[in-house]
Amino acid sequence: MSGKIGFLLLITILLAACSPTGSATPAVGSMEPSASTAEGATPITLIDDLGRTVVLAAPAQRVVSLAPANTEILFAVGAGGQVVGRDETSDFPADALALPTIGGYSGFNLEAIVALHPDLVLAQGGGFNSPELVASLEELGLTVFSLPNPTSMEGMFTNLETVALLTGHEQEVETLLASLRTRVAAVDEKIMPLSYAPTVYYELDATEPSKPFTAGPGTFVDLLISRAGGLNIGSALEGQWAQISLEQLVVANPAMIILGDAAYGETSEKVSQRPGWEMLTAIQTGQVFPIDDNLVSRPGPRLVDGLEALARLLHPGVFK
Amino acid sequence: MKIRPFLYTLLFLVLVVTLSIAIGSVFIPPADLGRILVGWMKQEVLPEPLKTFAFILTDIRLPRTVLVLLTGAALGGSGAAYQGLFRNPLADPYLIGVASGAGLGAVLAMSVRWPYSFWGLMAVPAMAFLGALLTVFLVIALARVGRTVPTTNLILAGVAFGSFASALTAWLMLRSTGELHRAIAWLIGGASQAGWGPVLTVLPYLALGLGALILSGHSLNVLQFGDEQAQQMGLPVTRVRTLILLAASLTTAAAVAFSGIIGFIGLIVPHVMRLWFGVDYRRLLPLSIITGAGALLLADVFARSVMAPQELPVGIVTALVGAPFFLWVLRRARNQGYW
Repeated sequence: MSGKIGFLLLITILLAACSPTGSATPAVGSMEPSASTAEGATPITLIDDLGRTVVLAAPAQRVVSLAPANTEILFAVGAGGQVVGRDETSDFPADALALPTIGGYSGFNLEAIVALHPDLVLAQGGGFNSPELVASLEELGLTVFSLPNPTSMEGMFTNLETVALLTGHEQEVETLLASLRTRVAAVDEKIMPLSYAPTVYYELDATEPSKPFTAGPGTFVDLLISRAGGLNIGSALEGQWAQISLEQLVVANPAMIILGDAAYGETSEKVSQRPGWEMLTAIQTGQVFPIDDNLVSRPGPRLVDGLEALARLLHPGVFK
Repeated sequence: MKIRPFLYTLLFLVLVVTLSIAIGSVFIPPADLGRILVGWMKQEVLPEPLKTFAFILTDIRLPRTVLVLLTGAALGGSGAAYQGLFRNPLADPYLIGVASGAGLGAVLAMSVRWPYSFWGLMAVPAMAFLGALLTVFLVIALARVGRTVPTTNLILAGVAFGSFASALTAWLMLRSTGELHRAIAWLIGGASQAGWGPVLTVLPYLALGLGALILSGHSLNVLQFGDEQAQQMGLPVTRVRTLILLAASLTTAAAVAFSGIIGFIGLIVPHVMRLWFGVDYRRLLPLSIITGAGALLLADVFARSVMAPQELPVGIVTALVGAPFFLWVLRRARNQGYW
């Protein structure tokens, strides 16, 4: 028995010596981008969210988007015609729905992505698309760019510029950015002189009505609520998906309840029927409003729409 | 040693491997498959779309097939070993907390933002592997009574520590909301990374673990008589049990490191083998290894083709399909008192 074990150990050590030890070299493979380099075109070199240096010989003509925000950004900068595949959850704009899907919630389908022959795969960083996915795609010889998750409106604008650079729409994005910045400035202008900032409870999930989840500090929702002239009660809590108990909610007594889970069937009637919630002023005064969560959670150009929607809810007198 | 069980299981394996290579979310017509094979034999450059199909075959389907085969083999083999060690029909490779330990290690790794490099990408599988092994060592140490490790203590310590690790994992997942989806996807199970990297990484551990298990068939047969009897027959019970336990756990740890927690294969495949081919562990272990590989691959083929381009998590398919199948086999063998 020990002789056999010794033989096994030898084989194991030999096999272990075959294991990869160096950094993975990008597979040359048989997947070459179909875009031809224009005469005199300079290559596009950018560093993505994972610290990888990504080089494109020419603006990408066949882009696969791995996140709904990325799809929205691509269409917004005018690159909608260059998108060849999207993830299942990309539902805006309507033109995107006609594109073939390549996976989403339960993983991404590598075969489908490869079969589309993309010259750029646009991933979302900050944990949305895992580094393993990026590594797998890289291993297959595809060019992947992971957009950083923005922490401010300016960060989102930078992402718009990055995607425009990658797809060859530098001029169009300037127009887009100018209009977005004007709209944001308009909101800021009207908010500045106001002295009253209503307290807001933004509901992310209330499957357990006595312990619902709200947007914590550092989230985009939190950022947008402040910018729209409100005070997010979740900013005093910890974590991004901050859990608040009903007791704390009653003590905080927000002036307004915004239902970010309206898409999942929550309505103001249902909220007023929750046991113990009738104490809240917001329910008694009917200040319970639904909102399209995609406007405030997807890090794309529609964040400006979200800002305006919040501003209209929080200060209806000032914003029509 | 009867040959027929091996012939049947190997035939099953070959069939499933063929299916796995032929089926995927991108439909490759059989005629094109033939042309690709001919092209390879003639060593010529393939035209499109054959070139893309060939690339999909060699760089996506083949590595994934091999990884799933290895995982299934590991789970089948260690499941059979656990059932033999504990003499308990409910034993599976996760009995003494390997799954919870691996899950805790993986989720811990996911809450840190590693640099994007070879070692950074190895962080999650490596910590899952370490978590699984540390759990086993800890549970064995906790269950030790003097110089023996009674099976009851092992199971109890394993369940207790497993619950503890699961609770910690759940708390970590609640806290790091950005990584929540990634953690859930890992825990449910399924091939995660593409390419040959994962295959080459787990191969040494699986070779060592499965090799040791195959060689321990005779010892497991003797152990079926009970600890005291086995001791009197000359088997150094505690040492052999610990060695087999470690080999089985090493195998399971390597399997879950890259593929997550896939249930049912380790529990059901050895039972089916036992019902069909008898209780001799010298035969049962290799058969469970072969059939475990084939069964998991079959589940994986199903998982990636039934709702293409979406992929079902493999763990869900093994449970949904494996349970009714096992019940059917059990009912047919109702009259055999095999345990």
